[in-house]
Amino acid sequence: MRVALTGTPGTGKTTASERLPYPTLHLNDAVREHDLWTEEDTDRDSLVVDVDALAAWVDDHVEAGETVVLESHLAHLLDADRVVVLRCRPDVLESRLRERGESDAKAAENSESEALDVVLSESVQRHGEERVYEIDTTERTPEDVAAEIEAVVDGDREPSAGTVDFTDYLHP
Amino acid sequence: MSESDEDRWGIAHIHASFNNTLMTVTDQTGAETVAKSSGGSVVKQNRDEASPYAAMQMADAIAEEVKAAGITKLHVRIRGPGGNRTKSPGPGAQAAIRALARAGIEIGRIEDVTPLPHDGTRAPKNRRF
Ligand SMILES: Nc1ncnc2c1ncn2[C@@H]1O[C@H](COP(=O)(O)OP(=O)(O)O)[C@@H](O)[C@H]1O
Ligand SMILES: [Mg+2]
Repeated sequence: MRVALTGTPGTGKTTASERLPYPTLHLNDAVREHDLWTEEDTDRDSLVVDVDALAAWVDDHVEAGETVVLESHLAHLLDADRVVVLRCRPDVLESRLRERGESDAKAAENSESEALDVVLSESVQRHGEERVYEIDTTERTPEDVAAEIEAVVDGDREPSAGTVDFTDYLHP
Repeated sequence: MSESDEDRWGIAHIHASFNNTLMTVTDQTGAETVAKSSGGSVVKQNRDEASPYAAMQMADAIAEEVKAAGITKLHVRIRGPGGNRTKSPGPGAQAAIRALARAGIEIGRIEDVTPLPHDGTRAPKNRRF
């Protein structure tokens, strides 16, 4: 089973994935290390992923019949059996990113993207609501979040999307 | 461009989240808000707040307020892919723009200024406009 573990940067994907018992592919690292990108976005200091190249790389690194976690805010762009979308209240997200050492601009843009449900909307559009599992990490420990992800893998949790509403955190 | 032409343009800001659509019209500088609305103010059920129907209702009401303020032309700035609970695309923003046009507003530049999640890598832009 392929499980996409996605969500806006700062929602806690990497932290939760460290507590999971499954083989995990950290896609952001793979993009950099194996040149799976098409161009550089210098304003955002980010490489623009080559989705087809990334998908091919993943196919080469997944064993048939095993459960593997694809961890990245890009993971939902790929084929997956289940898509876990981590969420975090935008103001909390912004401070998590600042504490991690990110710039104000990066923290602010990711926070606004979270308030607009960008990753969730893309996930539902690509995979359908029946394959998306939303988890709000705002006031949960990484251990709790990891346990919830395991419940998704085990089939002990129903899909969900749109269970959190962060529109109050928009500045229209 | 004459001064009266400058006065007749405004900017429509559409925030399209999964659960809701917010519309705000400002003057051309962005400083003064002329009208605002949200999906929640025009439909009863939470699940309809991001729908194309809600966007149309908001656009109709906003078009009247905007024209009353002497604005007849709007540039549009869209943020967010919007809610679409099926696999087919069709964000509320598109319905809102069509409704504004049908209400007699001239639509100028349409820009997608959706904030992009990024962390040393990012997805390619997926622009519908
Ligand atoms: N459940 C959580 N509760 C509080 N803080 C968290 C949680 N998960 C992660 N963090 C913190 O938030 C920051 C972002 O987490 P990280 O795992 O790097 O996010 P991502 O991989 O989604 O970008 C880190 O500094 C981390 O220690
Ligand atoms: Mg990470």
